[in-house]
Amino acid sequence: MRELRKLILGETVALPVGVALVLACALVLHATAESWWPEAGGFVLLALVVVVLTVALAPAHRRR
Amino acid sequence: MTAFVLTLCGAALAVALELLEALAIVLAVGSTRRWRDAVIGALGAVVLLAVVVVAVGPLLLARLPLGPLQVVIGVALLLFGLEWLRKGVLRLAGRRSPSSSFQEYLEEREALEGMAPVPPGQADWPARVVAFKGVLLEGVEVVLIVAALGAGPDGLAPAVAGAAVAVVLTLAIGVVLHRPLMRLPESHLKYAVGIVLSSFGVFFLGEGLDVEWPLADVALLYIAGTLLLVSQVQIAALVREPVAA
Repeated sequence: MRELRKLILGETVALPVGVALVLACALVLHATAESWWPEAGGFVLLALVVVVLTVALAPAHRRR
Repeated sequence: MTAFVLTLCGAALAVALELLEALAIVLAVGSTRRWRDAVIGALGAVVLLAVVVVAVGPLLLARLPLGPLQVVIGVALLLFGLEWLRKGVLRLAGRRSPSSSFQEYLEEREALEGMAPVPPGQADWPARVVAFKGVLLEGVEVVLIVAALGAGPDGLAPAVAGAAVAVVLTLAIGVVLHRPLMRLPESHLKYAVGIVLSSFGVFFLGEGLDVEWPLADVALLYIAGTLLLVSQVQIAALVREPVAA
C-alpha cells in the first residue's frame, strides 16, 4: 500500500495538493473569466504550476 | 511537428527510465534466485497490464468526452512530471542521492540474498512475487505515461513509437551490454523527463479548459523553456545555500 500511495501521490503532499488547487483555480477562472481566459488562461496555468513547484521545493531551501 | 517530436522523445525517455528500473529488479531476482522464476513473475505482470490496457483503455476513450479527458490527462501528467522535476532539481543540486538503477539492482540483490532458498524443482514464489511487483509498479507508470502522451494532437503514434524505441534500447542494455546501467546519467535524464511531462501536463490541462495557446503546438516549447529556467534558478539557489551538517 505504501508503494501504491507513493506511486499515486509521490513523496510529498505539496504536489498533489498544489495540483488540485491549480485545477480548482483553473475551473473557477474558466467559468467566470470568459472574456480573457482563452487567450491568457494558459499563462495563468503555467504561473500557477511554477508556484506549486517552488512551494514543493521550499523545504529543501529551509534545510540549512 | 513540434508536438510529435516532443511526444516521441518524452515517451522514449520516460518509458526507458521506467523499464530500466523494472529491468534492475528482474536482473536482481534472476541472478540471485532463478532466471525462470524472475521471467515468470515479470511476464505475469506484463500480461496483467496488457489485459487492463485492452479492457479499460477503449472503454475510457469511448465514454469520456475530449475536454474532460484532456483535463484528467493533464492533471495526471502534472502529478508525475512535477514529482520527477522536484526530485531532479534536488538531485542536480546535490540535496538527494543520484538516481541509479545499478544501485537499486545492488540493493534488491542484497534483500533477496537474505531470503531462504527454495528446494530445486519447486516454484520460487517469493522471487516471482518480487519480479511481478517490480514490473507491475513500473509498468503502471509506463502505461499511464504512454496513454497520457498519446492523447496529444498526433494521437498514439508518437507515444507508441517512443515506447517501442525505449523497449529496444532497454533490452539492448539488459541483454547485450550489461554494464552501462552504472554509466547512464539517470538524474539528468529524469530531470529532462520531468520537464517534458510537466510541459505536456500544463498544455493538456489548458486545452481541456478551452485555452487557445499562442502559436498552437509550439506552446510546448515555451512552456518547457519556462520550467527549465525556473528549475535551473532553483538548482542554482540550492547549490549556493550551505547544507546543515
